[in-house]
Order: sequence, then structure tokens, then C-alpha cells
Amino acid sequence: MSTETLTDGEAETASRGLVDRVRASPFLSQLLSNRLALAGLAIILAMIVIAVYARLTLDLEVISRSQLGTNPNRAAPSLEYPFGTDGQARALLPRVAYGAWYAMLFGTVTVGASTVLGVGLGIVAAYYGDITDNVIMRTMDVLLAFPSLLLALALVSIFPDELGLWRAVAALTLVYTPRFARVVRGAALTVLENEYIDATVALGATDPRVLVRHVLPNCLAPITVQSTLNFGLAIIDLAALSFLGFGASAGTPSWGLMLSNGVSQGLLTGVWWWSFFPGLFLALTVLGFNLLGDGMRDALDPRMREAVD
Amino acid sequence: MSPVPSAVRDRGRLVAGGAAVGAVATPVLVIGLVAVGGFAPLSAAETAFAFGGLWFGLALLGWAGSVASGRAIEAAQEHLDADSGWTERRSRRAMARIGGFGAGMMLVAPIVGTAVG
Amino acid sequence: MFPKRFVLKRLLLLVPVLIGVATLVFSILHLSPGDPALTIAGERASQEFVERIRADLGLNDPIWVQYIDFLGNVAQFDFGESYVINRNTSVREVLADTLPVTLELALYGQLFGILFGIPLGVLSAVKQDTITDHATRVGALTGISVPIFWSGPLLILLFAQVLGILPTSGRISSTYNVAAIRVTGMVTIDTLIAGDWEMFRSAVRHMLLPSLVIGVYSMALISRMMRSSMLEVVRQDYMRTARAKGQGAKITVLKHGFRNALIPVVTIIGIQFGGLLGGAVLTETVFAIGGIGTLLVEAIEVGDYPIVQGTVLTFAFLFTLVNLVVDVTYSYLDPRIQQ
Repeated sequence: MSTETLTDGEAETASRGLVDRVRASPFLSQLLSNRLALAGLAIILAMIVIAVYARLTLDLEVISRSQLGTNPNRAAPSLEYPFGTDGQARALLPRVAYGAWYAMLFGTVTVGASTVLGVGLGIVAAYYGDITDNVIMRTMDVLLAFPSLLLALALVSIFPDELGLWRAVAALTLVYTPRFARVVRGAALTVLENEYIDATVALGATDPRVLVRHVLPNCLAPITVQSTLNFGLAIIDLAALSFLGFGASAGTPSWGLMLSNGVSQGLLTGVWWWSFFPGLFLALTVLGFNLLGDGMRDALDPRMREAVD
Repeated sequence: MSPVPSAVRDRGRLVAGGAAVGAVATPVLVIGLVAVGGFAPLSAAETAFAFGGLWFGLALLGWAGSVASGRAIEAAQEHLDADSGWTERRSRRAMARIGGFGAGMMLVAPIVGTAVG
Repeated sequence: MFPKRFVLKRLLLLVPVLIGVATLVFSILHLSPGDPALTIAGERASQEFVERIRADLGLNDPIWVQYIDFLGNVAQFDFGESYVINRNTSVREVLADTLPVTLELALYGQLFGILFGIPLGVLSAVKQDTITDHATRVGALTGISVPIFWSGPLLILLFAQVLGILPTSGRISSTYNVAAIRVTGMVTIDTLIAGDWEMFRSAVRHMLLPSLVIGVYSMALISRMMRSSMLEVVRQDYMRTARAKGQGAKITVLKHGFRNALIPVVTIIGIQFGGLLGGAVLTETVFAIGGIGTLLVEAIEVGDYPIVQGTVLTFAFLFTLVNLVVDVTYSYLDPRIQQ
């Protein structure tokens, strides 16, 4: 969470200096004393481990294909199949684990892309002010006024079907960008109020240089908080789009699709494990990001907190 | 209260300014679509019309939204001590410009379309 | 209480909002891929047939002519006929059937959120930093984190399958003929009007789980906002003065703080109503309640554009109307707003 990059010389002393720096940073020390935030962090780390492990050890083609004849069909959870099997006799445990990879991957892309877009728009709006600011931010305001899932549904139809889950990612990126733009603009305005920026400009620094070297680093904390808070939402919305049929193609082990399958075919026949396990992992992951994000927001410098809503 | 005529003139100037930009942008966009995108001239003009419609619709919504809940938002921000510098007035002015831009495109696109189609 | 002019001026804003949304939807649909005529006719239809449909729909006219026609139709709330989902039925009829369903769901969800969210938020603020406060806050965070399409199925499994005390899906037991007593289209209200307690009981039992699932989101957001707003108010000078005058601390908080603390919460209620409509899409799917949300999803999937247009405009109309009510409530709570 440090805002400077380490040079070679600093890197050597970094390990020893790390403890001191954590103590010196009010943000980190306060965050680390928040037990709920740490619990959230633990959940996220566990999910990342599961995701990477699943990605490295499981064969996507094997767990996507029907296993009728090989495995018992619609088997309840047992020692051999801890999460049970589904209507095509696929064991649910590896599928749910692989779902963690999908959630993390597509969540990261969605949040990453909207962060980059939002940061660019927000900083430019704050720095140039006046018309630029108004045109960018008012457009963002209008987009923000739409309910996120409804806007995503409207946008998803613009992109061609063949994109699969990427279609949902593209729609959600557009939906999430305004949130970042607003936060970054607020934070950047706070930074720009500092007199040293005026001094830097007076000393002949160019616009991009001022933005990248001085404004951006000081906005990193609120950006990180906003990303964390929105990561959970992005994962839910991605799953929701898959659940509604806009996203992962049939057979893909994504949590939203597994839930959709569980609801449409398993609900009335009592096969609870079809919906229970994918949903549990989804809810846990989202809770993890929300706990961490909430703790981060509380730990944020009050001047910056205003910007994160 | 400011005298009405000047307020109307002021708002008119914002819309007209935006519309002028939109009017100029339309032929540029149409030529671009034909040259780079390989569009037929008429369908390029139609696309420009829809594109202008996006901005016009957005601005109308934004304008109505600022008027409808502008004071509520301002008051809420003041109340929560989270002033982002948002004001209803500035928002409405920006929307007038954007809307003018969209409307300009929507007015010029049919002319361009009829001329080339 | 408040001048009629204020309300009227707000109502007039519906006009630019609807024109704005109509223009946006029109433009987006035109810019997105897909040929409506081909969608109606089906992939295997003959070229002639497709051409005839295209002419019928006015798709051969230039887009600006189509736009003016479209606006004229929207003004009469006429979106033509459904292409695919309900062939040869006017969109208006389809909407009249499905809108009350979603409205009923959203209203009960909102009610649930307000009835539980506000007391929980106040409780959390009054007992700041105690176990009650922490539990409420974690509860709210969990409420936001659990997706509707998980909590819904689990509740169905528990209450309908395992315990067998609540119905699994739908709006009312299929043995009743609700169409016969239709007045508003909302089953809980129609059965009351008809005075049939058996049917009313069935409708309420069907409504319980969906409104709980959809209301949890509102509850979480409202309780959070209520807590922070209440704490904000308590810290202000006049509250200290009131307390110094010797009234009991808790009574002071409730008496003076509550109304002022409600102001920002009311704005949140309006803004999150949109989220509630989004939640309705998912809730309707889980509980097999055919409302306007499922209609929109289905229409997007199959490319039934008239339905998409009608649905989106209806959503916009609802959203604006709710925010209008919020705005008026707001000016009642804080008279400075009215000028």
C-alpha cells in the first residue's frame, strides 16, 4: 500500500523497514487492528489459493464434460463426492473450486478495466476543471443514476453473443467506470488543493507529469478502497448475469451458471447441493471483499473518505 | 430572482453553442464512417443520428435529474460534509451543452442523409 | 402542507425524463446488431416475408422518420405488438399484466427494508461500539453480500421442501382464479378487495419469502445510512444543548435526532429503489413470478424490441415517480428545500 516505488538501495532495507513503515502508516496500522477486515482478507486469500490451485491442477475440459456412466448421477454429498454430483454426474467440488478461478479472473478484469478507465476520466476531469470536468462528470452522474444490474442488462445486448462471459465483463466495466471516476475526481481535487502542486506547475512541470507523478500516487488509497468494495459487487453482478443467461456458456463451471442450473432443475426435486455450494462460495467471497473494503474505508484518511461513498 | 429574458438568453446560448459543435461534428463523423468504417453514406448518416440521440437522451435525463434531485443532493452533501463541488446549476449548464450537441447532430444528420442518400 | 406548484413542477419533469429514456433506448437499439424483421420472421423465412414485415414496421423509412413516429407512439404509451414472446398482443397489454406483479414485490420489499432498516440503524447508533452495534453492522454487510439467487433457493428449500410450511413458487395457489377478481393486478390487494380471506392468506404466504429476500438489500443499506446519519446528528451542538437541559439522553436522541437523521435516509430510499427493481429481476426468476423483470430478460434474450422498449420506459417512469415522492417527502422533512 506504499505510494512510492522502491529503488535498488531501498529494496535491501525494505524487509527491516517494512514493520516500521506499517507502524508509521496510520492507514495500515488501523486496518490491521480491525479484526473484521482481517477476516475478510483471510477469506479472499483462501479463495485466491483455491482459484489458483484449481486452475493449475484441474482440466477444464474434463470437468465441463458430462460424466454420465462414470460417476453416480445426482448423488448427494458423500465422502467420495463431498459436494455431490449434478444432473450430468459431474462432481461439484472441482467445479465449484474452478468457479473461484472464474470469479477472481473475471472480477479482476472487470474491476481493473473500470479502475483504469475511471481513474483516467476522474483525474482529467479534476485537473482541467470547467467544461471538461462538467462534460465528463455529468455523463458519469447520469450513468450512476441507473440501477447497475438493469444498466448491465441493457448494455449486454450491444455486445455479440459469441463473447460469452466477456460480454458480461464488457457491460459491467461500463457500469462500474463512473464509480471510480467520481472517487478519483474527488480525491484528485483534494490533492490539487495542496500548494505544492501549484509550485510544481510553476517550476515548469508538464500536465501529464503532474498528473502521473503527483496526483495519481496520492489518490491510490481511495482507489484501492473503491476497487475492493466494488470487487465483491462485480463478482455478484457477473454471477447474476450468468444466472439470467447472459454470460458463461453451458457447461462452464461458473458459480452463476451452477446456481441457475440448481434453481431451474434442482429446486423442486430437493437436490439442495446444486445451489448450496456454489452459492456459499460466492457469498463468502463477496463477504470477504465487503469486510475488507469496509475496514479500509474506516481506516482511510478522513479527507479522502469523503470521496468514497 | 434574475430577470427571465437574460436567463433564457443564457441557456439558449449554451444549447446553441453545443448544437453548433454537433452540427460541425456530424459531417465529419459521416465522412469518417464512410471512409474508415466502410459504411454506405445513408447508413452512416443514420448512425450519426443515433449517436447524436445517445447524447441528447443522456443530457435530457441528466438535466431532469439535476432539477429533480439537485437540491436534495446538494443538501445531502452539505449535511454529510462530503461536498464534492457538485452544484445543480453547473450540472444543468453542462447538460444544456451536451444536449445541444446531441440535438445538433440529430438535426444535421437528416440533412446530410437526404443530401447523400 | 407544501405548495401545489412544487409538486406540479416535479411532475412535469417526467416529460424530459421519458423523452430522454425513449431517445436513449431508440439509439442503443439502432446501434446494436440484429435485424428486427428477421427476428420476427425467423431465420428460415423467405426474403419476401422479411421484406413485408420490414415495410409493415416502417423499417424502410430513414431513422429520423422512425424516431419521430416512435416518439409519437411513446406519447400515447403505444409500443406496438410483441414480436416473439406474446405474438399479436399489444405491449401495453403485456405490461398491464406484468407490471403490478413487480410493483407488488418491490413495494413489500421496500416496506420490509424500511420497517427493519430504520429501527436497526437507530439501535446501532444508540448503542454505538457495543456488541449490538457490531452485530448489526456485520449483519448488514452479510445481507449485502448474499446474492438473491442463493438466499432465495435456500429459503425455498428450507420453508417449502423441508418444513413444508410455505409454498415454493408463484403468487397464489393455482386452485384460485385470481383473474376473476382482478382490480389492481396485485394479488394481496385484489383478494382483500374481494374479501376472500382464504385467498388473501394464500397470497400473503406466497409473498413472504420473495419480499424477505428482496428486502434484505434495502434493509442493509437503510440501516447503514440511518446509523451514520444518526451519529452525525447526535454530535451536533443543539443536541448537546438539549441534553444539557437535563432530559434523558436516549429520549433526547429519539426526539430531536430522529427527524433530522431521517433526511439523508429518505434520499437513499429513493436512490436504491432502482437497485430494488434490479433485484426484482432476480427474485422473479427464482420464485417463478412472471413480472416485468423476467419479461425484460426474456425480451432481451429473444430480441423482442417492442417489449424491451416498453419495459425500459416503464422502469424509468417508476424510478422517476418514486424519486419524485422522495423529493416531496424530503421537502416536508426539510422545509428549506422548497424555497
